[in-house]
Amino acid sequence: MIKLAHNELIVLLLSISTMLIISRIFAELGKRLKLPIVMGELIVGIVLGPTILGMLYPDLFNYLFPKTGNIPIALDGIFSLSVIMLLFVAGMEVQLSLLLKQGKVAVYTSVFSMIIPFFTGFAVAWFFPEIFSIPNEQGPKLLFALFFGTALSISALPVIARILMDMNLFKTNIGMVIIASAMFNDLLGWLIFSFVLSLTSTNANEHLSIWYTVAYIIGFGLFMLTIGKKIIDKSLPWMQTKLSWPGGVLSISLGICLLSAAFTEAINIHAILGAFIAGIAFGDSVHLREQAREIIHQFVTNFFAPLFFVSIGLKVNFSENFDLPIVLIVLVLAFLGKVIGATLGARLGGMSKNHSLAVGFGMNARGAMEIILGTLALNAGLISKPIFVALVIMALVTSLTSGPLMKRFID
Amino acid sequence: MDLNKLKKRSSYPFETIAVAVSFSPRCQPVLAEAKRLSDILGASLLLLHIGEKTSKKEQELDEMMAEIGVNPNHSRVIWMEGDPVDTILKLCKLNIVDLLVLGALEKENILKFYLGSIARNISRKAKCSVLLLTNPTGEPMKYKKIVVNGVENPKTIHTINTSIYLAKNFKVKDITIVNEMDVSGLAMAIADNSTAPQAKEIKKHIADESDETLQMIIEKCDVGDIKVTDKSIKGKPGYAISKFAKDKKADLLVINSPDTHLNVFDRIFTHDIEYILADLPCNLLIVHSRI
Repeated sequence: MIKLAHNELIVLLLSISTMLIISRIFAELGKRLKLPIVMGELIVGIVLGPTILGMLYPDLFNYLFPKTGNIPIALDGIFSLSVIMLLFVAGMEVQLSLLLKQGKVAVYTSVFSMIIPFFTGFAVAWFFPEIFSIPNEQGPKLLFALFFGTALSISALPVIARILMDMNLFKTNIGMVIIASAMFNDLLGWLIFSFVLSLTSTNANEHLSIWYTVAYIIGFGLFMLTIGKKIIDKSLPWMQTKLSWPGGVLSISLGICLLSAAFTEAINIHAILGAFIAGIAFGDSVHLREQAREIIHQFVTNFFAPLFFVSIGLKVNFSENFDLPIVLIVLVLAFLGKVIGATLGARLGGMSKNHSLAVGFGMNARGAMEIILGTLALNAGLISKPIFVALVIMALVTSLTSGPLMKRFID
Repeated sequence: MDLNKLKKRSSYPFETIAVAVSFSPRCQPVLAEAKRLSDILGASLLLLHIGEKTSKKEQELDEMMAEIGVNPNHSRVIWMEGDPVDTILKLCKLNIVDLLVLGALEKENILKFYLGSIARNISRKAKCSVLLLTNPTGEPMKYKKIVVNGVENPKTIHTINTSIYLAKNFKVKDITIVNEMDVSGLAMAIADNSTAPQAKEIKKHIADESDETLQMIIEKCDVGDIKVTDKSIKGKPGYAISKFAKDKKADLLVINSPDTHLNVFDRIFTHDIEYILADLPCNLLIVHSRI
């Protein structure tokens, strides 16, 4: 087994502690300015990464975040674990029953806020691939168009939940419609994205046919959301009473998350889908104590999330890859698709004009989910760095504007 | 029958009580309880049997009615063939039934639950109030501990008033009205950006808001001299009140009728009333407020 050398371990620990401490300081500063925490973490990445530290103090940058040796491998492992954990907690908040409960208006809103941005993104990428420097060949064009459509249709549940909480709308009809629709968007979005990622596999032996991939994704999802969910639901009371509290439920839930992620990775669907679906199966259980849920959230959001979001800035030079036309195109398409789609859905579902617009702008927040999606696509070679930067900016702008724009349409 | 009478008809008093007669071992105790309810509430009793009318069944029913003491002058028996659920629902509507009494197992086997048993399917679809009796023994049932849902819903006020009407008639001194605080999403919203006092404040705010809502609902109800205990509990709607009723060893749980048409997906992705129907904590009254 390869081991980290004494010095490498020191550097690894230094880089992780630097990321955690500085991102916390930035997050706290950002909080005072009412900025989303993810923004502070991204800025830390930009500061510590090639954009600023790498340019001003290249030696220090290369010492903390070397590109060769065992440290990048160790960090990559931690970042992969981070994204899996992030998707697990994202899944924990998805409750499909909420969509059924909210009825027609939530179903219309979720369907339209998915379909319209998806087809807007797909159509623009398919008919004008040159805008994004995508070769006009069917294979890459199709993959990119599928990804771009998905990227525009996803929502960021945690950001939306926070906005609604701050606006005291969390438990209102509008709030519940937005939450239920965003949950459904997330579920479908991650299913489609996992499908797209599985098609990008470079290993020819592992490459499954499209239909096998679709069958695996649907089969796995159905199994976990029915039988898997029931098994977890039945075993949780036992876990929470017979095992050490809260250690027992924590280790078993995270263990099941990783097991599920390993399974989906093994069948050549990305590990994130396994983690996300395991999160839904766990989080939907009535037996999961609120305290256990909070501990998992706190642990992931305050340890893995900063590492993951800071790592983004370490990988990409934001100033070099900033392409204004692409940023503007992505922003305009994201706003148009999501706001029109969600507003139309809410209106058809029977909401008033103003409330429908509030739902439209509420659903527009992309936040951390978009950034995770973009990072995975960048790692898979699906998108270029300028498109990634545009997606990150779009995620931040939509998250920042969602609350104030919503406010304009609330009585 | 004038079906217009059904529209906006108050959920109480119960003027017509129907009971489904199945000739099962639980049939007699269910019928006895329905008879007792009709006597106490001054309602007429309607006995419904869905199936073939045979002389053997007729004789059996006559004997049962005589044993229980059902007065033929204050009751009617309707025999009809057809799908049990649809036919019972149709008969209830045609006869302007206010309360339908059914026997129900506390828990169905998993297959039956997903496919839907007769009693549960009627409960999901009925356009009148439904009382599911879980353990009828033939002895008069006690309704000492009544737990009522207090969720924020236009139907709730009618449900509470119906419970108070029952409580008055059964000489029950106090009832507990429970509001369920669904805190799903709260952990996600406070995980990254809240200090401990802020998180505590948010939780307190949600609890206070829930208490206020419940108080406002209770103030609108015709409580009279019944002692009402209000309680806010955390948990998923349906599951939380069901667990509360079970822990409290309630005799009767009273809830609103479902807001939407429920199907098998509502059982797979369980929510609200489906949690209660999956495992009945005690006798269950589903109040249909016809609003």
